[in-house]
Amino acid sequence: MPSGPARGGGPPGGGQSCNRFGLPNLGIGLGLRTVHYGHLLEHWPHVDWFEIISENYMQTAGRPLYFLDQIAERYPIVMHGVSLSIGSTDELDMSYLAELKALRERSGALWVSDHLCWTGVAGRNTHDLLPMPYTDEALRHTARRVRYVQDFLEAPLVLENPSSYVEFTGSTMREWEFLRALADEADCGLLLDVNNIYVSGYNHGFEPSVYLDAIPFDRVVQMHVAGHTHNGTHIVDTHIGPVIDPVWDIAREAYRRCPGTSILLEWDAEIPPFEEVHKEALKAASFARNGESGASARQAGARA
Amino acid sequence: MKNDVGVPLAGGLLPFARERASATPIRRAADRSSVEGLVSELPAHLSDVRPVRVSLRALQEWFAGAVMHPAGVAASVRERGDLGGEAIGVADVERVVSASSRLSGFERIEIYHGAYRARLVECLADDYPALAYALGESSFESLCHAYIAAHPSRSPSLNAFGRHMSAFCRSRTDRLSAFGADLAALEWALVEVIHTAPADRLSEEALSKIPPSDWPRARFAPSDAVRVLEFGHAANAYFQAYNAGGGPDPPEPAWSATAVFREGPTIWRMDLSRAMHTLLHALFAGATLGAALDALASSGDLTEKEAPLLMNWFRDWVRYGFFASIAVETGVRSSSSA
Repeated sequence: MPSGPARGGGPPGGGQSCNRFGLPNLGIGLGLRTVHYGHLLEHWPHVDWFEIISENYMQTAGRPLYFLDQIAERYPIVMHGVSLSIGSTDELDMSYLAELKALRERSGALWVSDHLCWTGVAGRNTHDLLPMPYTDEALRHTARRVRYVQDFLEAPLVLENPSSYVEFTGSTMREWEFLRALADEADCGLLLDVNNIYVSGYNHGFEPSVYLDAIPFDRVVQMHVAGHTHNGTHIVDTHIGPVIDPVWDIAREAYRRCPGTSILLEWDAEIPPFEEVHKEALKAASFARNGESGASARQAGARA
Repeated sequence: MKNDVGVPLAGGLLPFARERASATPIRRAADRSSVEGLVSELPAHLSDVRPVRVSLRALQEWFAGAVMHPAGVAASVRERGDLGGEAIGVADVERVVSASSRLSGFERIEIYHGAYRARLVECLADDYPALAYALGESSFESLCHAYIAAHPSRSPSLNAFGRHMSAFCRSRTDRLSAFGADLAALEWALVEVIHTAPADRLSEEALSKIPPSDWPRARFAPSDAVRVLEFGHAANAYFQAYNAGGGPDPPEPAWSATAVFREGPTIWRMDLSRAMHTLLHALFAGATLGAALDALASSGDLTEKEAPLLMNWFRDWVRYGFFASIAVETGVRSSSSA
């Protein structure tokens, strides 16, 4: 069984996470990417856990599931979606939700996350994570949908703070205020993407520390770190290259406030060989605790 | 790898890079042209911006329209003219989206406009790498932009987004449109076969249980994991040369046919002779073996050299999983895998 902690040197006393949902600390994980399938199936390297992009394994009955089934047998899996469109004013897509739930059961995913965003309207999908206006109407609308999705999935939904490149003048609160209010209103989990905080902080001119101060850390189930592209006038969340030190600094500070939270590296552009991606992720071991073993994590996830 | 009749098989674990991610693709430089010429329309002073407060629905429709408009953000804003009952022209965009210290509100929306098309072009390039090579980067990107405008996604998944590309190519009058349609049909068959479920396979044992007297009335059910394609160009030869890094030139028109199928995670392509195609096409269309052989005989496609190989063909096709089951017309005599 290759899964389980592959690193040492983390602070002692690891294992348990501190989120209110009882979801386990999986340790340091990686986004599962197809370019690494060959390496994984040949070497079965020690990796704490993998996060899959849900939609890559939906609306298919073929090869993606062939690989996922083998990987899910050996590693804890978490599902991360990009098409829930929780903030859209279109009706929730019930066939999508049904397939999401079926994939969760098939993969044994310990939780399901998506983004605080909308991806389309009037039946058309942009496949982008479009920004919300932070208004009372949007808050009520989104909270109602989150609650519905959680009831449908029979599990907490974990929402990620997105990177954004615009702010709407009609917003009546800041993103962190909206996120906190939404999490309280809908009683959902949070996936804190510290790179997105850095990116949006630059794009919109706020200090990451202000964002962190508003986060209800007992709702944080998972953290993301990633690279980005600095264009001078703005930063784009490209998930390219290694994580820069200021983002690691935010991750370290966030982790201090929610020790035992599962951490994951996203690398989606110009993806290097598996070992290089894994080595980058393991930089988190300088401040993060070891995760629970694969078996105990699954049990904890099943209890939650 | 060759089968018993010497028809080369080509394939393998095709790169399967078309996957979703939460990352934002960077817009291509060409997209920046849509910003040009707008400076004069943007307000010089923004201190008196009066926010537009509209319903979430109205805002989402306005913003999505700007992001997805084929001619750019400005064209969308001009065409709509208003937002929630308030007149909003290009000069008023910052009443909806605030400027940052470095970018105007308009330029910030343009980031999403560029990312929208870049993501979908990436998706199509992953589905159609040989087509992209054949057309060249600029022509392929223009084709994709036209495709995105004609076939906007209505699905949460991108797996089937590119399904109209062959017909779309054929409907155009561009250079290489006919060859492009053939190549796109081949590449889309590869995508389809990747996503089909593991199919039932007729076993050689099940086949052997059919008495010779029943063969003419035997009907083969095709496997979902096989596609039989006919082209007006040597699409598979081009694809193979492209895959091998050969830098092929687009071919002149010529008949060809190819079967695409999957064994486990491996996708295979097998060229078909005219006789093979005629026979398989008839069988896949539901003809009994007797009727399919009659069609083959009347077609004149079967060469003298091929005639003794018919049984070998069937053995190969069964071995490669072309058929899910077999049944004899007057009643089920044998079926599916043993």
